[in-house]
Amino acid sequence: MGTETMSVAEKFQAALESLQQAKPFAKSMYQTNVFQLAIELAETDEGLDILYQQAPMFDEAGVFHSGPWEDASKLQPPLVGGSLKVKGVNSIIELLSEMRMLSIAKGDYEHSSLSQEEAKSFLNEVLALNLDLLFPPETEAARVEGGEHMQRAERLFKYLGSELSYNAIADKIVGEIERLTVQRPIMVDKIKHMIVMAKNMVDSNIDEAVKGSLKKFQKAIDAPTPLSEEAEGIREYQSSLRNMEASDLESEAKSFASSIRETGLVSPYHATFIRFINRADPGLIPAALGLSETGTASFNQQKDLVHDIILLAIFPQTCQAIYGLGKMLDRGVLTQDPIVPALRRLLELDIHQRVKRVLLKPEFRKAGISANGILVAGTISALGQPLGVGQGLNPTCQSARAISLWAQHGIGQLLENIARGARDNDIDMTFEGEVIHSSELEDGVAGGDIHQDLDPVSKVLVPHLDKIYNEMMKKTLLRGEDGHKWVNPEFYGEWIPRGFLNLIDPITGYVTEFDAFVRLFYATHHPDYNEGYQLIYPNPVGIYITNVHASLLGLHAVSIQRIAEDPSGEYRIYFYNPNNDSGQNWGQGIEPSVAGNGENEGEASLPFHQFVSRMYAFHYNPYEQGDTYMVEDSIVEEIKNIAKESWGESYTWAE
Amino acid sequence: MANNQDGKVTAILGWSLPAIEAIDKLDRPYVVVGPPSFQEFADKNGIQFIPWDFEQLNERSIELSEKLAALNTKVAVPIYEETVEWAGAVNAYLNDDPRIFNRSLLLRDKGLMKRKAQMAGIRVGVFEEAYTKDDVFRFLKRMNEALIKMDGDVNDPIHVKPLNKAGTVGHRLIRDAHDIDLMSEQEFPCLMESHLDGQEFSCEAFIHEGKIMFLNITEYVQLGHSNFIPASPALEEWRPQIHQEVQKLVDAFEIKYGVIHPEYFIAADGTLNFGEVAARVPGGHIFELIERAYGFSAFQAQILCSDPETAQEELQDFFPEEVTSAKGYAGSLMVYPRVKLIEKLNVPEELKSNPYFERHDMFIPVTSKVAERVGFGNHYGTIFFFGQDSEKMRGLLKQYEKYDFYL
Repeated sequence: MGTETMSVAEKFQAALESLQQAKPFAKSMYQTNVFQLAIELAETDEGLDILYQQAPMFDEAGVFHSGPWEDASKLQPPLVGGSLKVKGVNSIIELLSEMRMLSIAKGDYEHSSLSQEEAKSFLNEVLALNLDLLFPPETEAARVEGGEHMQRAERLFKYLGSELSYNAIADKIVGEIERLTVQRPIMVDKIKHMIVMAKNMVDSNIDEAVKGSLKKFQKAIDAPTPLSEEAEGIREYQSSLRNMEASDLESEAKSFASSIRETGLVSPYHATFIRFINRADPGLIPAALGLSETGTASFNQQKDLVHDIILLAIFPQTCQAIYGLGKMLDRGVLTQDPIVPALRRLLELDIHQRVKRVLLKPEFRKAGISANGILVAGTISALGQPLGVGQGLNPTCQSARAISLWAQHGIGQLLENIARGARDNDIDMTFEGEVIHSSELEDGVAGGDIHQDLDPVSKVLVPHLDKIYNEMMKKTLLRGEDGHKWVNPEFYGEWIPRGFLNLIDPITGYVTEFDAFVRLFYATHHPDYNEGYQLIYPNPVGIYITNVHASLLGLHAVSIQRIAEDPSGEYRIYFYNPNNDSGQNWGQGIEPSVAGNGENEGEASLPFHQFVSRMYAFHYNPYEQGDTYMVEDSIVEEIKNIAKESWGESYTWAE
Repeated sequence: MANNQDGKVTAILGWSLPAIEAIDKLDRPYVVVGPPSFQEFADKNGIQFIPWDFEQLNERSIELSEKLAALNTKVAVPIYEETVEWAGAVNAYLNDDPRIFNRSLLLRDKGLMKRKAQMAGIRVGVFEEAYTKDDVFRFLKRMNEALIKMDGDVNDPIHVKPLNKAGTVGHRLIRDAHDIDLMSEQEFPCLMESHLDGQEFSCEAFIHEGKIMFLNITEYVQLGHSNFIPASPALEEWRPQIHQEVQKLVDAFEIKYGVIHPEYFIAADGTLNFGEVAARVPGGHIFELIERAYGFSAFQAQILCSDPETAQEELQDFFPEEVTSAKGYAGSLMVYPRVKLIEKLNVPEELKSNPYFERHDMFIPVTSKVAERVGFGNHYGTIFFFGQDSEKMRGLLKQYEKYDFYL
């Protein structure tokens, strides 16, 4: 073997052959060298070409043997970006995995269980989810910080981008943006980031319809009206407003309103405009917010309060709250007498130093916005978009669910809690007669470490709620039954019925009485079996979250909002998912929809039986139920099969 | 390749994929005895496996021997230092010869080992066992008195090492009282020995029926960091003397079958001082280097030599001629990070384009924190070289020994 004359490409080929010849148990010894040489090759575009040419060999040789990448059909696009961005050997295996995927997508390699179309769709999604790699920032600093593996990832994406159609990628991006915006979350930073990243796509050769869609979103967060489009900046824009005719102002107002109605996204110009008319022509506010009749009526009733809210809380930096303001007025929230002074109180509240620090992000401080302004902006967002409250990156679905529930049905309590949390940095609740103060507690579910990518109300409340909830659960530990039975009604409030069922036996950890669980849920919740009792308040239920292959990922808390027939006459469960990303694929064809099946803003929905198949606990009113024996065996069987073949595989079934 | 049709099984003691691959290719029935955590992997890959915890005391060796005998095992081959006495016990049982076990113990107790060598007329340094720190003080003092050191002269150092650990694990260099203070109670008893000057090297001798079938000399460039195979002409010049010394060792220790890995120091005039010997797979990627240089699998060689039933002709066919049949010099450089946190891997282009460079296996580890070092134990990667000139090889190994591959 004269190694002197071997090129890296030849070495790679030789390493691949040695790997192929190795028996399965010995493969791991030969993989290292393949990965090392792949790193070398991935340093240049020509090297990537060589890797691509060998890609059809990878599976047979055993490049991915006995690792997470082994089966191409089990890979998930959302995980790709993360693997590529970490140092270490995983990032090169991930790169090789994309090369395999590309060779399937281009038909150069036929995979036994993954079609060409599926591979294409996989890669399109990968690119759409990682636009920062496809269009990397061009600053030198970003490059230096990134390191070799980041440059490699960017090179890979450039390669993939040139091999795939930008059209399909753009299509995925638009789909993703639409899927997220249609749920109308309060926090839109992630969506805005995607839109900004996709700017580069608009200039490439893509389908007109997709291009139009992207442009619509870009205008929505930038300059949605003719006048704002011409303006050089906010200051110039406001100056030009002064010289406008009343009729032009009105059409400007309508343009803004239609943009936010369509996208749920607000432009900073919109805030400038509203601040301007708040002084110059407040009568235009209903038009600028796109208010309904109810909204206009409640605006007229509380003009002073709205005026002050705008003055104190609506700025270009907090423009997204404009959407919440409109929605809050449309809900008629301000027609409830105690709400008005409670909101006013927040405008003048003495905010605790620590809370101030949490609320005032640097961009707010720079703009001279007060902590009260941020708090009020956050509050009107929550009141306008109760289902837009999200848990962010925290495991605090319970707290998010509570805020959302109160924003819908316990506004007084919510505002009281906000005032307590913001002013006193403490919240108290009573559990079975005992008062619990959050300020006296240490750990919560999140371990006291709350990720701050949250809306202002959640920032103020979640640290307290999380600790209180955790404390209540601790107090029920030894009761031999799921503590949620007692905790939920006390934690959320009197809206939660006292009946409760969990299908896991807490002593053995086995699934018990699954049939009875399904029957009782049908008899209490399904309109065909429950004697016509309506769900009055959201029902907090526990569900199993599964991935696209129906494997159990973990437990999650959602709320059933309502149960109704969809446009095609099928009963669906409409629910609120505090993760603000309800449209995830749960496997077995169970894919919650967020639009198109009669969903309200922020709701996700599933056909009744599909939802039941993922549920493990629910509350019910024991005085409002039909007969469990009326539920057909075939229904129970069907649901049981779906459950057993998904999350149920991780559990023992006591039968 | 050798094919034993008698259906008798060879047992590999210790889990090592290269060893398993080697015996698998020999096409003879085998069983692997290893830590229970490998059971699943073995089952999945159809590898006959006995889960065994070698860390426990030797008292249950009968149980292991019976299990192996029930599988029709004829010989046990040790892979790691800890499995040497287990192999001794098992082979003693299988051959109904208790002495085999006692011989293996000689190799597991460095005090006994030295004593045995000394009695056989093999040159060793001055050594003693130490049970307390006082012993170490006294030894250091007496050594330097013997060297006629005066007050104020710098001490000649002594070495201490555990009686039963592989290679350089637990090795300390003692120059003064302060070094002794740093020793902990757990390190006793240990072996103390005088410092030997000279060039250190190791041999890998494949023994069958008490005779050396193949003798490899591994030249150390920097102990624990770099070595290459075969040795340079300057060291190979002494091969006849070295061969004679190794044979002396084999005779003294009554080693009949398998591989031994002794270490020597050679003075400029060719005087050989014996350091220590192990009867297992050597560290430092030496087996890999043998395969690269000579083209035969050292693991297979060990297995064939461990088996008394292997025919002489088969072995003669198996082994190539020493030194002259080597295709070149194969060297390895083990890399230890010199930083506490690894941020970046830094393999210079100049190295990668050097014709002697073959490959390396360094990655940025998943946990960037560098683990504390035990002996020369856990290195973070190896660079392999191959070329035709031993001096160029030595130069490269020296040049990159100080290089910071991890930043």
